[in-house]
Amino acid sequence: MSVATAVTTLPKQRKTTAAENTAEERQARRTAFAFLAPSLVGVVLFLLIPIIMVVGLSLVQWNMITPMKWVGLSNYVNIFEFDGFGHSLLVTGYYVLLNIPLQTAFALGMAMLLRSKRAGSAVVRIICVLPYLATPVAMGVVWNWFFNPSTGIINQALSHIGITGPAWLSNVVTAMPVIAFVNIWQYVGYNMLFFLAGLQAIPPTLYEASSLDGATKVQQFWRVTLPLLRPTLLFVLVTGVIGSFQVFDTVYVMTAGGPGNATNVASLNIYNTAFSGFRIGEASAMSVVLFLVILAITIAQFRYFNKRTTYEIA
Amino acid sequence: MTSVATAAPAATAAATTERTTRAGRSVRTTLFYLLLVVIALIFITPYLFSVFAAFKPLNSILAQSPWRPPTPPTLDNFKTIFTQYDFGRYLANTLIVTVILTAGQVTFSMMGAYAFARMSFPGRDPLFWLYLTTLMVPNIVTLVPLYVLFAHSHLLNTYWAIFLPYVLGVPYSVFLMRQYFMTIPKEVMEAARLDGCSESRILWRIVVPISRPIIITATLLAFVFGWNNFMWPLIVTNSNSLNVLTVGIANFNSNFGVQWNLVLAGSLVALVPMVILFAIFQKHIVNSISLSGINR
Repeated sequence: MSVATAVTTLPKQRKTTAAENTAEERQARRTAFAFLAPSLVGVVLFLLIPIIMVVGLSLVQWNMITPMKWVGLSNYVNIFEFDGFGHSLLVTGYYVLLNIPLQTAFALGMAMLLRSKRAGSAVVRIICVLPYLATPVAMGVVWNWFFNPSTGIINQALSHIGITGPAWLSNVVTAMPVIAFVNIWQYVGYNMLFFLAGLQAIPPTLYEASSLDGATKVQQFWRVTLPLLRPTLLFVLVTGVIGSFQVFDTVYVMTAGGPGNATNVASLNIYNTAFSGFRIGEASAMSVVLFLVILAITIAQFRYFNKRTTYEIA
Repeated sequence: MTSVATAAPAATAAATTERTTRAGRSVRTTLFYLLLVVIALIFITPYLFSVFAAFKPLNSILAQSPWRPPTPPTLDNFKTIFTQYDFGRYLANTLIVTVILTAGQVTFSMMGAYAFARMSFPGRDPLFWLYLTTLMVPNIVTLVPLYVLFAHSHLLNTYWAIFLPYVLGVPYSVFLMRQYFMTIPKEVMEAARLDGCSESRILWRIVVPISRPIIITATLLAFVFGWNNFMWPLIVTNSNSLNVLTVGIANFNSNFGVQWNLVLAGSLVALVPMVILFAIFQKHIVNSISLSGINR
């Protein structure tokens, strides 16, 4: 009650003490900026300024010791002609293509299976999420052991059924699929959670109505489940693609870009160019190109999903 | 007569369909549990086998089946990595850096989120757009210029360098909490203000208790990020005394790659605390992840 009366009397008060209020407002503004200050300093200093800097640095030749030299756009030519960045982008694209469709399909499949109310599914749901917390570098070491050609578990198991397994990580054909597998293993349960939430939001009446109309389970999946999961699908795909274009930790520990250059993904190339070769200009140009590639694909995904009809469930 | 004659086959038909559906159901149940076991095994075996191996001497790892538990388990591997190598130091560094990073990031992001959600000041909307725009920028893009900035500020090879870019709050965390704070009715804050509550009192005494789920989410996300972060610490530190676990493990792996007993024990030092964290907070973690996906 006191609150209600206070609120109703507020306008009158405001009129009478106009001068006092502007002082109060100034105080409120100061408080607001004080609240905002730390994160604003962080955003400007560690995100905004570096974003502007990376464009500038991509136009110079610089090893951090001798003075910078303006070279215009030539870094953007050199990274493709001499540093194999085109190859890096292709290899990264290949990794994303191995990773994202399988990861998304498995995540959805597991969500459909594990949403069951049967005993045990809750426990397995939780087990699936555990790898999300696994330190990628440490897990990479564990997988190195699993995929070791002579002492690894995978090839030992294969030899029991008379198959000689490949030298997984030093074989040009198998190295990248193994890295993709390791990352799918780590993040499939995490993505499953989004699909579980999405599935939960679909009203059961839609399934009842469609089965009365004679729809089979398969038809229900394509006509009811999938269209209504579109926002979830967009979220999972967009975040997944942005993340996998930056893959670094597992590659660094498991193959270091090899064999040859077979797994020399974009971020590894940037890392080596900048911090082994100290060619800041070239590394910055690579960063800008990678950013543009990620941006273009993200926009394309949003376009594709917006073009299709979306369904609102109240 | 005719009715009986027609009724009998109908009854047997019903019985057979019932039998087949029951059989079908039990087949489906078996299949379901088979899949469940396979899925659980896929996610558990890497942990299980590396735990077994970390407690075995190298020759047993090479000779025995990975399924076999260590008999008797030996602590030698851990003794070696903690005494002859610096894993104690790496663990301490990781803990210190991660705790500072998490505490700062959550507190400052929360303050920013509150200002955006429930305070009015000139330039609020453009500034929020600035946050949203930087949110979209992948980490790798700012890596090189950030390194240049830190090199020029003579901050390389310090503790500061490891957590500074993330400790002042990150746009994602601000955004996440701002969306949550927007759901708290304005009247609650207005009433408190009229009662003479200061803004920081409103934030800590009213908003924080109401918003516990999202604060736990932000805390867990920050902690996992800090603990697992690899590329940035790798770049800004190059002395053994400042190495965090991820960098220590990666170096150890490239130096002693085939001494599986030691590298696996080293990896467990990073993996096990996360498993414990997961065991304690699994419900929160599952909810947190789901919560981080909404409102986008």
